[in-house]
Amino acid sequence: MNVAELPMILFTVIAQMCVGAFLVLGVVQTLGSLRFSAKAIDQVADPALLAIGPAMVFGLAVSMFHMHDVTNTFNVIRHAGSSWLSREILFGTGFAALGFLFAVVQLLKWGRPRLRQALAVLTALVGVGLVYSMSMIYYSLVTVPAWHSWFVPLQFFATTVILGSLAIGTAFVITTSVQARQVARGVTASAADSGRRVSLRQRFTTPADPAVRDEVEALLAVSVRGIVVTAFVASAALLVAIPLYLSGLTAIGGVALQSVEVYSGALFVARLGLLALGAGLLAVFTYFIAAKPRENLGRLVVVLTTSLVLVFIAEVLGRALFYESMFRVGV
Amino acid sequence: MYGFYFDQTLCNGCKACQIACKDKHNNPLGVNWRRVVEYSGGSWQVEGDTARPSVFSYYTSMACNHCENPICVTVCPTTAMTQRADGTVYVDDSKCVGCRYCEWACPYSAPQFNAETGHMTKCDLCFDYRESGQAPACVDACPARALDWGPIDELRAKYGDQNAFEPLPDPSTTRPNLVIKPHRDAQPIGHGSGFIANRQEI
Repeated sequence: MNVAELPMILFTVIAQMCVGAFLVLGVVQTLGSLRFSAKAIDQVADPALLAIGPAMVFGLAVSMFHMHDVTNTFNVIRHAGSSWLSREILFGTGFAALGFLFAVVQLLKWGRPRLRQALAVLTALVGVGLVYSMSMIYYSLVTVPAWHSWFVPLQFFATTVILGSLAIGTAFVITTSVQARQVARGVTASAADSGRRVSLRQRFTTPADPAVRDEVEALLAVSVRGIVVTAFVASAALLVAIPLYLSGLTAIGGVALQSVEVYSGALFVARLGLLALGAGLLAVFTYFIAAKPRENLGRLVVVLTTSLVLVFIAEVLGRALFYESMFRVGV
Repeated sequence: MYGFYFDQTLCNGCKACQIACKDKHNNPLGVNWRRVVEYSGGSWQVEGDTARPSVFSYYTSMACNHCENPICVTVCPTTAMTQRADGTVYVDDSKCVGCRYCEWACPYSAPQFNAETGHMTKCDLCFDYRESGQAPACVDACPARALDWGPIDELRAKYGDQNAFEPLPDPSTTRPNLVIKPHRDAQPIGHGSGFIANRQEI
């Protein structure tokens, strides 16, 4: 594996997962609001929002290791008019900052819901800009045939959608499972509903009000099913695109053939296999057991977490191969 | 705009240019602003019962071509990769973060990473020598007089405007300020049948 590029591998995969998670959360909020109450949605969705922040900060911190002189760090945004790398950093820090701001106002319920929604849309757009500019860093290198390809943005957005969906699905079922365990211990929703100020930890672990509990279950069933269908479709698209991409590179010839050679062997097989297993087989299984989320909650936690871990490994391997495939024309 | 001229018919691959450059700029092991690429190929020519070798090999001495359209300058996030008013490209040490993006981009391997400073480094066409009226170190060091430098218009008027030979990249990508007098076996780009024989040296 390409250890020298580990900072870039982890940063791109984690940042894409964060953007994807934010987008999926937005879709759940938006589509969910057509059928469910805000209370039921917040019960499931708010805790997931908290997980995105640390992951994004971790990703940005790891990316710092790609530089060899951090004393000049602030120069990296000077060439935004020309360099996609500068643009990526602006979008990356912008997404992190807006995401943090949104998480604060959403969790503390500050401001009007419309205003928070507008902030979420802006954050999501900046997130999409981040994934796009990330892909353009590689696409703009006309001297590297394996990177100057339509496949790069497709792959980056596929990672965004697949990992983002599975991360949010996993967060939903874990949150619900934690809350359900509190019910078993006899904790009720009274503390949260009595109007007293409660800590975030209390709010996230406090089970749903019995009145909305059925609604929460229905929301969970619909959203988890939607999430695994999304991950399934995006992975299928990626698995179709890979052979097309490789045959395109073969047609170019020259150094592109050296890049094609990278996509073979055990790591490549593992990359495809883990993706098919995590976002294919396990997704189908999840789809069926998600029909009755309360009954199958334990199983859902295990299956979705496994699927997230497998697909994360698959994407890290895929990204390692992507950096490995860097063969430039010329001398 | 300044550039280099290189005569493939005179070069015997002695690498005096490479060493003179390294010495002048005090570059550490592995950092070679000028490198000599050996491009070889060929096969057996069979006539009846006789098999004769039909092979070729030629050298291309390569530094930075101070391109008209320098992709290193375009992609650099910090603006450390700078183009002087005379067209030559250099690294501004006070800005570089050592992300090595320019190294990925340049098809001539001109920007090279110096692990001691954590910065990128590259040929600046011996800026200080030129200021004092001297020629770049590599040009003066060549025992075969295969290298020349100067304003690119003058070089093109004197030596022609050819520079599209294997194993160099298509010049339309970055528009290098480079003129080459081709070796008799030099292969036009895109039609190469050989390979770079000294990959580890460059």
